[in-house]
Amino acid sequence: MKVNKREKINTVARLLFRNTGWIVIALLAGIFGMLIWNTVAFFLKIKPLDFITGTQWDPSGTSASYGILPLLVSTCLVTAGAMAIAIPLGIGTAAFLSEYAGRRLKNILKPCIEMLAAVPSVAIGFLGIVVLGPSIARLTGQPNGLNALNGAILLAIMALPTIITVTEDALQGIPNSYKEASYGVGASKWQTLVRVTIPAAAPGILAAVMLGVGRAIGETMTVLMATGNASAFPKGFFHSVRTITATIAIEMGEVPYQTTHYYALFAIATVLFLFTLIINLAGEYFVNKFRKYHAL
Amino acid sequence: MVIFGYMTNVRSAYPYPVFFLLCWLVGCSNNQKAIKMKGSDTEVNLAVSLAEHFYKVNDTFTVAISGGGSGLGIASLLNGQADIANSSRPLNQEEDSLFIRRHIELRTIVFAEDATAFIVQKDFPLDSIDVNSLAGILSGRNSTWKEITGRDIPVTIYGRQSNSGTHSFVSNKLKIQFSREAKEMNGNAQIMEGVKMDPSGIGYVGAGYLLQDEPGPAVKVLKISAAPGAAAVSPLDKQAIENRKYYFQRPLYQYIAAGSWNKVKAFIDYEKGPAGQRIIKEAGYYIIADSPTIR
Amino acid sequence: MTKRWTPLLEWGTLLGSTLIVFFFLGVILWDLISKGGPSLSWEFVTALPKVGMTKGGILPAIIGTVLLTLITALLAVPFGICCAIYLNEYARDNGFTRLIRASIRNLAGVPSIIYGLFGLALFVQGLHMGTSLLSAGCTLGLLSLPYIIITTEEALRRIPASTREAALAVGATQFESIRDVVLPSALPGILTGVVLTLSRAAGETAPILFTGVAFYINSPSGYLNQEFMSLPYHLYMLSTQHQAIAEVRPLAYGTALVLLMVVFLFNGTAFYIRYKYHRHE
Repeated sequence: MKVNKREKINTVARLLFRNTGWIVIALLAGIFGMLIWNTVAFFLKIKPLDFITGTQWDPSGTSASYGILPLLVSTCLVTAGAMAIAIPLGIGTAAFLSEYAGRRLKNILKPCIEMLAAVPSVAIGFLGIVVLGPSIARLTGQPNGLNALNGAILLAIMALPTIITVTEDALQGIPNSYKEASYGVGASKWQTLVRVTIPAAAPGILAAVMLGVGRAIGETMTVLMATGNASAFPKGFFHSVRTITATIAIEMGEVPYQTTHYYALFAIATVLFLFTLIINLAGEYFVNKFRKYHAL
Repeated sequence: MVIFGYMTNVRSAYPYPVFFLLCWLVGCSNNQKAIKMKGSDTEVNLAVSLAEHFYKVNDTFTVAISGGGSGLGIASLLNGQADIANSSRPLNQEEDSLFIRRHIELRTIVFAEDATAFIVQKDFPLDSIDVNSLAGILSGRNSTWKEITGRDIPVTIYGRQSNSGTHSFVSNKLKIQFSREAKEMNGNAQIMEGVKMDPSGIGYVGAGYLLQDEPGPAVKVLKISAAPGAAAVSPLDKQAIENRKYYFQRPLYQYIAAGSWNKVKAFIDYEKGPAGQRIIKEAGYYIIADSPTIR
Repeated sequence: MTKRWTPLLEWGTLLGSTLIVFFFLGVILWDLISKGGPSLSWEFVTALPKVGMTKGGILPAIIGTVLLTLITALLAVPFGICCAIYLNEYARDNGFTRLIRASIRNLAGVPSIIYGLFGLALFVQGLHMGTSLLSAGCTLGLLSLPYIIITTEEALRRIPASTREAALAVGATQFESIRDVVLPSALPGILTGVVLTLSRAAGETAPILFTGVAFYINSPSGYLNQEFMSLPYHLYMLSTQHQAIAEVRPLAYGTALVLLMVVFLFNGTAFYIRYKYHRHE
């Protein structure tokens, strides 16, 4: 082939790649723009203060009220519950994999964790209805087990693989010299893990937790199926709650486009988006801190 | 490995299978033969049976059905995402004005009569209830069963989400706002499940849901009396329904965008024909002879 | 006495949490396989739903999921790979590129339901595609894009600069060096990422809720401009919306198992690619 022609192909290819890059970026920016646009449309009709401080979400009542508080509290309740379960279990499992398990055991266990990560959320929600719900109902003497606790346990299961994998990477990233120094002054394996390895890996573990929170807070199907979806203000783990994601899933289908209710759903989606953005940025910050700290 | 070939040698034959698939995907689509029917959890199962049997006699039409609440169907119709909206309630004022503002002309069909049944657990110590007490229970005014059954156990209400036609039908009929403690279930089926397990629960479902349990009904259907002391009527009483004696009976509507009328006509004809009417009755709904069918 | 038991206790804590995690996995697999297994049959995967979806099979849902994943792949894979090539091979490493990378990483963490809203606003309404297979496919394609970009870039970054320089030194243009040298060696990594992303897309439900999935369709067709059934939504519907939940439980279990098998098939493929690649190294 002529050099000329080859160079031409090269130029065209470069242009093509660059343009796809730009298209992708434009599309992704569009998501943010769409959310903001619709949220602004919402705040033209409803006062932001009512939205933030209102304790009732009842868009189709006789006097529609759009208070995000019950939804926000529900979301935080379920997520906090999930993290209370997933963080200790995740760190424990990661420490086991990283410090105690042999190579062969690890080769079996790690694909299993990937398998757990691969189970679709709707299947987990299904098991929340058929397995976990009845068990919770039996153990607590409640009429049914569709409540915040059910959602929290299921979300913990979904967040676990992320937390385990990232924490394990962080633990593995700690240089051996740290541990050797610890053993050298007579510390036991456990003391080394608790006093040296985990503190040294803390930013990495925090990043793992952030990723787990991000996963849990944005999950839709599981909470939609398992938490009972009562729109009253949440009272605790044994009451049914309705998260932001579930509210969007339930109500988006039923609203006529371009009405206040429609915009309201975008507004709560924006709140959710901002939450995940902050969590992701925090996670990123911790990852970078960890990398810098251990740049060798 | 087709994909490996694609990557290492761009000039190979990889585009052909992809191209073929695309042709197949695009080539077959025809909007004139696809009917979108949406809304009403109460009617959705009936709609599914109708579509299933319709396919046996006429396979040129594809009927896609989605459930949700009556509000979903009406909203989809407003949004242009449905041809037929099933609804267990009439349009409210806001929707009416939206249809007018968006210049969507509607045709309305009443295709069956439904009786909303109030259900409790099988061993619940109550057979009938009057409308007033029911309003007290569902609005949250009475938070325990004490006044009605004498037992001091808290009431659990299994209701539907506010987009449900049944939800608004019951609250309009009783002139109450539902208690905020009411559980909002995704569908009639979840209400059945909930009430079955809950000795203090009460819920409401469409008549069609009462026939489903094969080995005897697992829930008790309450008889309703319009006033304390008046005769109580069961929603399963065919005669009473035909005479419009049951307090919570209502027509089931289908709203059709006038633009889609020609497309859906074959389906509506089937539904109004003898085969369709038989399916409706078998599904547990009623047909009242003198009801106006087409507005 | 206490001294002898402490290490065991400590070790036991870690082992215990690991066992709990695997107990979860065990329950999930055991419950789905033991109760879903009996409903699997040739008829189940090849027949239309019958008698108001209480009998028969799930063929339309399988077709829907396959087509949906295919559309997702057609959209997200070429765009994602090209974008990753641009970022890793062409773009200079300046503040702007870093901003783009950061936003792509963040977009990978955006809840899937928000992609659903975007799909509704852009494809269903904005581009007048209606609630259809194509709208849902585009939405899922968008959702998959950040993942594919991230994994592809990672795979590209692992190729040493010397490989590219060697190709350039013998007179290849930059495009030729990417096409003939960089991409083939990064291929296993890229493929793994693509397959895992598609596995995730196949199991997603939230983004397709308002962009085109239907409860029931009375024929096994899958047209681009029409609504469709899909496995995950079918499972959702059978377990929460169907009139006779108890009666269709076996069908729901069967659907869950088929969905799980589809997803594990994808994951198994990714695992195999990675395994083969590592052996070669």
